[in-house]
This record gives sequence, structure tokens and C-alpha cells, in this order.
Amino acid sequence: MKKLGNLVRTKIRASCKETEQKESKDSNTQEKNNINNLQTEQTINEIKKNLARVNDFLFKKVVTEEGIVTVMYSNSLVEKMIMQVMVFIPLTNHANQIHQVAEEINPLDMKDVILKITSGQTLLYFHDKNVLLFIDTYSPPTRSITSSETESTVIGSQDSFTESMEANLSLIRRRIRNPMLKNENFVIGSETNTNISIVYMDTIVNNDYLDELRTRIERVDYPAFTDISLLKQLIEDNPLSPFPQYYMTVRPDTISDYLTDGRIVVLMDNSQAALVCPVTFFEMFVSVEDYYNRWTTASLLRMLRFFGFFLTITITPAYVSALTFHPEILPYELLVNLQESRSKVPFPPIFEVLFIELIIEVLREAGSRMPAKVGQTIGIVGGIVIGTAAVEAGLISNILVVLVATSALLSFLPPIFLMSNTSRFVRYIFIISAGMYGLYGQMLAFAWLIAHLLSLKSLGTPFMTPIIPRKATDLFDSVIRFPTAFLKRKMGISKSQKK
Amino acid sequence: MCCTFTEEKAGAAMKKKIILLLTVCICLTACSSKEKKVPLEDIGMVGVMAIDYIDEDLFRLTMTIPQFSEDAKENNESFTVETDLLSKGIIEIESLSDKKVVLNQLQVILINEEFARLGQTEEIIRFLYRNSEIGNKVLIAVVKESGEKILSAKYPDKPNINFYLNDLLGPSINTAFNPNTNIHDFMYTQTNPVFDSILPYLTKKEDEIELSGIALYKAKSMIKVLTPQEGLIIQSLQNRKNLMPLYLTLNENNGEEKLLLDLLNSRVNMKSNKDLSSPKLTIHLKLEGTLVEYKGVKEGQLNTNKDISKLQNEINQKLESDILNFMEELKELQVDPVGLTENFRMYYNGDWSHKKTIDVISKLELDITVETIIFSTGTLK
Amino acid sequence: MSGKKSPVLNRFHVIFLTQNIMFGTGILSLPQKLSSLGYSQALFPLLFGVIACLTLWPIIWINSKYENDNLFRINEKLLGKWLGKSINLLIVAVYIIFLSSVINNYTTLIQTSALPEQSMVVPLIMLLLVLVYIVNGGITSIARFCMMTFFLIFPTIFFLRWAIEKGEVTHLFPLFNFNGKEALEAMKKGYLSMLGYELIMFYYPYIANKKKAFKYTTIGIWITVLLYFITVLVSVMYFSKWQLENVEYSVLHLLKAGELPFIERIDIFVITLWVLAILATASAYLWTAKKGLESLRNKKKSSHVYILTLVVLLFEWMPLNPGFQEKFYEINYNIYYGILGWPIVLCVVHLLKKKRVRP
Repeated sequence: MKKLGNLVRTKIRASCKETEQKESKDSNTQEKNNINNLQTEQTINEIKKNLARVNDFLFKKVVTEEGIVTVMYSNSLVEKMIMQVMVFIPLTNHANQIHQVAEEINPLDMKDVILKITSGQTLLYFHDKNVLLFIDTYSPPTRSITSSETESTVIGSQDSFTESMEANLSLIRRRIRNPMLKNENFVIGSETNTNISIVYMDTIVNNDYLDELRTRIERVDYPAFTDISLLKQLIEDNPLSPFPQYYMTVRPDTISDYLTDGRIVVLMDNSQAALVCPVTFFEMFVSVEDYYNRWTTASLLRMLRFFGFFLTITITPAYVSALTFHPEILPYELLVNLQESRSKVPFPPIFEVLFIELIIEVLREAGSRMPAKVGQTIGIVGGIVIGTAAVEAGLISNILVVLVATSALLSFLPPIFLMSNTSRFVRYIFIISAGMYGLYGQMLAFAWLIAHLLSLKSLGTPFMTPIIPRKATDLFDSVIRFPTAFLKRKMGISKSQKK
Repeated sequence: MCCTFTEEKAGAAMKKKIILLLTVCICLTACSSKEKKVPLEDIGMVGVMAIDYIDEDLFRLTMTIPQFSEDAKENNESFTVETDLLSKGIIEIESLSDKKVVLNQLQVILINEEFARLGQTEEIIRFLYRNSEIGNKVLIAVVKESGEKILSAKYPDKPNINFYLNDLLGPSINTAFNPNTNIHDFMYTQTNPVFDSILPYLTKKEDEIELSGIALYKAKSMIKVLTPQEGLIIQSLQNRKNLMPLYLTLNENNGEEKLLLDLLNSRVNMKSNKDLSSPKLTIHLKLEGTLVEYKGVKEGQLNTNKDISKLQNEINQKLESDILNFMEELKELQVDPVGLTENFRMYYNGDWSHKKTIDVISKLELDITVETIIFSTGTLK
Repeated sequence: MSGKKSPVLNRFHVIFLTQNIMFGTGILSLPQKLSSLGYSQALFPLLFGVIACLTLWPIIWINSKYENDNLFRINEKLLGKWLGKSINLLIVAVYIIFLSSVINNYTTLIQTSALPEQSMVVPLIMLLLVLVYIVNGGITSIARFCMMTFFLIFPTIFFLRWAIEKGEVTHLFPLFNFNGKEALEAMKKGYLSMLGYELIMFYYPYIANKKKAFKYTTIGIWITVLLYFITVLVSVMYFSKWQLENVEYSVLHLLKAGELPFIERIDIFVITLWVLAILATASAYLWTAKKGLESLRNKKKSSHVYILTLVVLLFEWMPLNPGFQEKFYEINYNIYYGILGWPIVLCVVHLLKKKRVRP
């Protein structure tokens, strides 16, 4: 009897202790939960304060098994379907498993938290545990992959980059399926916090160039980056020069070509183009279609482009100098024709040339701003009517119209738009110097141009490298392109690592 | 860090330089094109210049300038002044014309025969040679009577006189006896002791100008007019490759034959005996051509190779005797337009003077062999 | 990045640098300068080449003993501070005057042929501005500019083909048809066009492969000699003896013989293209003078270049009559020849010093 009583007493005492312990535990957790709740409320209030008057950012309280969870996300950067599938449905059903898919961040690091929200991540704040997790749900509406309007080719792949950096990276990665293709991310721009990515092939690239590029990017201090060309102008070696020193393109096949050659590519989020460095002057005249065509066609087109550049900066200045200073250069019959056509024009040749060059610039600029439907008509009106009428009225001579039109066409030959803009600018310098001192002025301007080009550097290497080829095989791919079987080696400028 | 700093400093200095340079340039462009430089349409580019002898001090200078405005009735203007210095004459002509006269595009110079015979050609040509505006490819010719008459006459069927004369005197296969002397050639032959100059000789017919012969110079003055045949001999000996069609008369004594050889190619080999006291020159002339027309005894019989080679031999003999006769004439006159004495100068150590040339020419013995090859006789046999 | 590394000249730089410094205005009137020899001047450029290589040898030898110093420092080391500095000052003065004579020659040539009615003040200033721009880039920029110039000017050799067609090869014979007096006169006048290879004394520290410097410089010299030889050969074929003596700038007359379908007077085009060769020559001399000024004052300043350019400009504008200026330049040339022989003196001094140190 006594034994039974003792057993019952110990059991009752044990169960009392258990409940006591449970109660204390419960009260402990309760206390803990209360503390956590207070802290989370504080943090949430701070976040709300930072994001005041940003109606895009939504805060939703969801009741789950693990307690109340505040879901914070940006409505404009996250697609609604994605939110449902990735966050809300798992949260309401298997809240405890969310820990396994989401990452944790420190709720006291307010800057990081705000950055995450504004970058399109969804933050999940578990009140009871004061734990902040985030899931990557960045899915803004993007443009689909289309063919490029500015750099189109007849043969070869037609896709081009879009503004989403991830889509661009995917376009590159599907062409170079190699784990050695590395990309490093940076965030630049104090106001815009733009993502950029440096892409390179680890086994081929030269590490000195890589370090130099990294130092330059880290040194950049600019508030807002709207396009990669702004970054380009800030990390270039000679920003005062009219010539571009890095290559910009929107075609993934060009980019993958350069990557396998050992160059470094920079991509920027919200930027369609990608930067390639280092490059040489001759590569500004190379289009990727040259490699798809046969070597004879490719060589012919390349020579045309290259000499076209020099022709476009020489034709109209030669007209000015021949007519003003050295009429004996031209053959007699041509001179007779010129005299006849110029006899009606009241201006000296240089003003005539500057006048019509400026008219062509105006036509070009105005045509690029106008809506497409109106633009075509104005183009025809401007080109044909103004040109013909001006000749008839005696404002310009008809031979000059032919020359200026040819040189304008030739200036569009280089595949890089920036280079064709440069050739327009350089032409004005030549025209003015030809107007001053004829052929002598032109040659002096040419000497200045050569000296200037020779002093340019692209990421520390001389810009005009193929003049002294680093390797003899460089010449196989310069003005004349040798058949593809010869083009196996890497170009000298990339100073690639030897395997 | 420091390199960006120096770059900035250099950039600032460069900027200042560029701004300064641009302002200077723009100011100067405005200045230079208005006042100093005359634009193309106000320049009168002289095409042809003619010099006629008046008397010891004076000569008549005529210049033609093409006219291009549509209001003009004729296609060129010509101006004439009488002057004693060439540059003074140019200035006087400028006062007659409304445009600025420049010699940049001078094409042809015509010299009066009298002027040439009095030995004053070289001074005029030297003045033009010294002038850096004028190129060296200006053609020179001697005219029979008066250059002014040629330039002021009208040629209704011919183009502008400038183009007409230029085309007439330029190299052409049918006037292959024409030496096409330009300023450089003339100065070269005048100053080279081995040579004597030759110039084309123009005669004015009614409505056209004819290239009637070659004017032969001895030192500075003109002495004789040579026929086109003789001119052709000179050209062939000077190793001119494509000759004009050759008209020959053979066997004048019994059974005259006339024939014409066309599409001639010639080659010359000369060898001298290197001896100045009794100079002897071996010349081997090789002619290849097509027999175009034949009139004479052997007509209808020129089918076999044997006949043709017989005809070739006759041609060879005729040519050899022609050349020898011509050389005799040159020996008497003591001139060397061909430059045969060059073959002796080559082996002479020391300075060669004109006297030595005359010496050699007057004693020169020639051994000429001509080899004619008739390639074909057209499409018929 | 560009300012930190010291410039490095590889073999192509050295070859073309040597070649272009020598190749300036000299070639345009070379047949006239050698005209005392008449027709046999054709072989003289080869002789000049041999002399140049012989005088090059002591230069390279003394430089190889003091690998990292240019001639200014070597002078100071071997001759003591004051004598060395005064010799350096003399060298700088000679080079500046030579530079101004080269530019003067060229601007007179342009004025007589291409731009007959302009005053040459502003074109001269423009030329000097481009010159300063090139020199500010350092010796590598000058070397690269020389390379581009060579490839741009070399095709003009092909324009000589019309002159070859018209010329007579028989002018070349008899060979060696001259006496000693004529030869000496020709050498004195003609060797001016060969000056310029001794500037290696000043850029020797920057050469990458110093052991092969002699080989590369010789290649540069012989390229120039070959160009001179071709030009003199063609002008002997084309001109008569009188023309050789009296025609200034006879090479331009050679070019006047040619014509292309769309350009009539090639010589004007080639004269203006020559500004590149002038700039290559002048920039090297200006760079050397700048280095000399730096070593005299033991300071590096960017204003040195501008001071020297102003001095050159003053020489052009000085109101002296041309006869005096000619004489002045003549004296300068004679002193320049002395500088060519200077390395031999230095070699002797160096050997003596070594002997003194040893025992």
C-alpha cells in the first residue's frame, strides 16, 4: 500500500515537474517570442521608414505554422505568378521547409536589406524567431531576343543582346560551354547601383590586364550609369581622344569570338551593348561576318572598309586643296569641267564644302530623330530636292555633291558606329587644314592623326599594335584575311597565357 | 593615382593648345580664302604659248586661255603682246585679261622658225624650266611662219586649240617620227654634250595644222628641217619600239615596187670600237612587221617563204642605204641628234665636251645591218 | 601606367628610328650635292654606307661600356663635370641649329613649289606644334612614328619607274671617272644626308636587346643607303651632267616625269608627303636636345621642349640676310662632323682611364 502511494506520488511529482518545465519552457519561448516580435516590429518599422512613399513596395503578413511572417517585396520588379509559386504557396503549406531554400541575411544591416528589396528579392521576416530570409524573385518584364538593327549580318546567327544581364550571360554561356569561363560581379554607381559583370576565360586571359581592369572599375566614382558607354568613357586610357579605344557590340557571336581569343568582356545590366578590351585599331574595321564569308570576299571587304576610312577623310579636303591651291594636280579635262561647274558658285571652295557637309549632318541628325513614317519622306526631300535645287541655284557645284555623297557613304563602312562618328569629326579637321594650306595642311593634319593614333593605348597596350606585329601570325588576320585553317593562333595583343 | 594626375595635367595643357590652335585656324581660314588666294574660276590657265620673232630685242608673245562660261562665243581667248622679257609679257597680258594668268596647266609651247634659227630658244625654255609652277611635260614645237597666226585662226572642225595641239604633238602611232620633245627632253639634249636637239615642226594649212617634219638643231640654233622619213630613222635608232607604218619604194631603176609595212616593232643594238681616233659603230636594226599592201613586179608571186625572204633582203638593202645616206648628211653637218657618240663616251675617262662629239661624228664610220622580218601578209596568203 | 615604365625599344624600333633620322631633306638634293663627280656619283652612297658603319663601331663600343647612360652622362663621367657640361652644351647647340636648318630647308622648298604665294609663318608654327606633340610622347612615340613614315613614304620609290623608262643606263659608264679632289668635295657635301645615325648614343639606354644594337643599326643604315643608291642611280640615268649640277631638288624633277590617270603632278603630292619624314628627323633631334638640357640642369621639366621650340622659331625669323645664314649653317655642319668623330676621342679617354685605375 505504501509502495503504491510512493509510486503515485513520484509520478504526480514528475508530471507536475513536467508541466512546470513545460510551462516555464512555454513561458520562455513566449518571452523569447515576445522579444523577437518586438525586435522584428522595430526593424520592420525602420524598413518602412526608409521606404516611405514608395508605393511599389508591399508588406504582407502571412500566418504560418512558424508564426507570423512578413513578406516584403517590390511589386514592379517581381512577377505576380512567381510570387505565388515561389513564396506564398510554399509559405502557407510548408513554412518550415522555407529555411532550406532561402538564404539568411542580417536584419541589422539596413543598407543591405534595402538594397535587396530594391533589387527585386523577396524578404521573409519570421517574427517569432527574428530571422530574415530572402528568395531571389527578380523577374521584371524584359525584351525578347530579337535580331540586332544596328549590327545585322546576312549570314551567321541573328540573335543579339537584350537589356537583361542574365539573358546576355546565358547567350554567351550557351556558346562557350566551358567551366573556365569566369564572370565576376561588381556593383557601381552610387545612385543607380547597377550590376556589372567582367567575363573572361581563365586559362587564356592575361592576368595583368585583368588586374588593371579591376582596379579601374573599382576607382570609378560616378552617380548614375544609364548605359555601358558611360562606363567605357570613364575607364578608357585616353578619354580626350576622338577615337574609341574599346570595342562595343551587341552580338553574342562576336563576344564569344573575342573571349576565346583571350580578351575581357564587360557586361552591364540594362545595357544592350557589351565592352571588349583590349582591342586594336584594325579590329574596329572588322565585322564578324568576315569570318563567315570566304577568305577572298572577306579580304576584299576588309580592304574596302579600311581604305574607305582613309578615303572618306581625304576626298573632300583634296577637293578643297586642289581647287584653292594646286590646280595643276588635276588632269586638264577634269579641271575644265570643274571650272565650268564652279563658275556659277559665289563662295570659295572651303565655304562651299563646309556648307554642304553641315547640311548633310543636319539631314542625318534630323532623320534619326524623326518618326519612321515622316523620316523617309524628309530624307528624300532633303537629299534629292535640296541637292538638285542647290546645284541649280548655283550654291554648290555638282561634282562636289557627288564627292560629298560618296564620302558620307564611305564613312558608314566601319562596323562600329562610334568609329564612323569619329571619321566625321576627323574629316572636319582635315577640311579646315586643307582650306588653310592646301595639301601641306592636309599632310600636317595626317601627321598629327598618325602621331595621335600611335599614342593611344587600349588597356595599357598600344592601340596600333599590328604596325609592329607581336607575332607574325597577327598579319594573317589584319587587312587581308587568310583562310580559316591558318587562323588558329591567338592574337598578339591579348598576351594570352601559353597552354 | 599619379598617372591620372599627370594625365589630367597633360589633358588640361592639351586642351588649351587645342583651343588656341582652333581659334587661330578659324581666323586664318577666313583671311586666307578671301584676300590672298584666287579661287579657281577667276584663274586663267594658259594652255598654249607662242613666241614669234620681231627683231633683236622684241618678240611677240601669244597666249590662249580656254573660256568656259556659257556666254562666251568662242571656246578660247587669245592675247598678244610685244615684249622683250617673258615675265614682263605675262604681266602685260594679265592687264588685258580679266582673270589672273597662271602657267600651271601649260600644255604646249610654239616657237617661231626665225626665233629658233637665231638660237634664242634655249633662253626661253630655260626660263620655263626654272619656274616651279610649270610641269616638265610641256610639249615644244617649232612653227613655220607665225605662232600667233596658228593660235588666232579658227579651226571649225577641230576641238579647242589647246586640246588640238596637245593631241597633235602627243605620242601617237601614226606620227611616230615625232620626238615628242618636252621641256625636260629639250634641256637634257641642249646641255648634254653628246646630243643635239630635235623638235617637231608644224606648218599651218588652211583649216588644219600639219606636223610636217622635224627641226634639227646644232647646239643652240636650228639649222634644218628633216623629212618624216629621216625623223623615223632617228626614232628607230633611238630604240623607239613601235614605229609608224613604213612606206618604201624599191628597185627604182628596173621594175619599181611600192609597199607598205605596218605594225612595226623595232630593236636596235649598237656596239662601238671604243677608239676615238677612228671611231666605228656597228648597228644592228631589227624590224618586224606586217606587209599590208604591195604594188609591183612580184605581185601575186609572194606566196612562198623564199619569195618573201627575197623581198626582205631587198627591203634590208634599201633601208641600209637610206640610213647610210642620212648619216653622211649628218656627218657633213656635224650634228648628232641620235646620240651615237654616247657609245664612245661610255669608254672615255675624263670630261666629255661638245667638241669631242663633233670630232667623233665627223670621223664616224658606220656598219649597219638591217634585218626585216615580215610576220604576216594579212588574212590572205 | 604609361609614365611608370621606362620606354623600351625593340629591334624594329631601332631599325626604323635609325633609318628615318637619316632620311630627311638630304635626299631631295642629293644628286646635286654629289654633282662634282658627274655621272660616276652612282656608287657614292654605297661608300657613304661603309663609312657610316665604320664610324658606328666606336659609338656602339663606348655605349656598351656605359650601358645605362646616354652620351651626356658619359661625357660628364669621363671628362669631369665642367668640361663634360660644356661639351654637352655644344652638342645641344649644334643639334638645335641643325634642326632649324632642316626645317628651314623644308619650308623654303614648300614655299617655292607647293605654296608659292603664302608667307610661311603660320605653316611653320603648325609644323612646330605637331613636332612638339610627337616629342612629348617620348622616344617610343618617335620610333613608332618613324615606322609609319617609312611604310607611307616607301611606295613613292615606285614613282621612279617613268624616269627609269626614259633614262639611259649608259650614263653609268665609265665607272670611277673622277679624281680625288672631286671625290672629297662630293663627300663633304653629300655626307650631310647621312647624318643621324649617331643619335643612338642618346637612346642607347632604352634599347631592349643591347647586344644586337650594332646589327640593328647597321640594317637601318643600309636601308637608307639602298634608298639613296636607287635615287642617285635613277637621277644619273635621267639627267645630263649640267642638269645634275644646276637643278636644285633634282629628285622632284624625277617625279615630274610620272603621271597617274587622276593626278597629274605627283611631285607636289610627294613634297607634301615629305613632311612626315621631316617630322621624324626633327622630332628625334628635338628629343635629344631636350635630354641634353635636362642633363645640363639636372632637372626634368616639361617646359624644356617649349623653350627649345622657341629657339628654333627664332632662328627662322632672325632678320639675317640669307648669305650669312648659309654660312652659319655651313660652320654648323663642320662642327657636326666633329661630333661624329667625338666617340673615338671618348674611347681613347676611357681606355686611358681604365689603365690608370688598374695599376
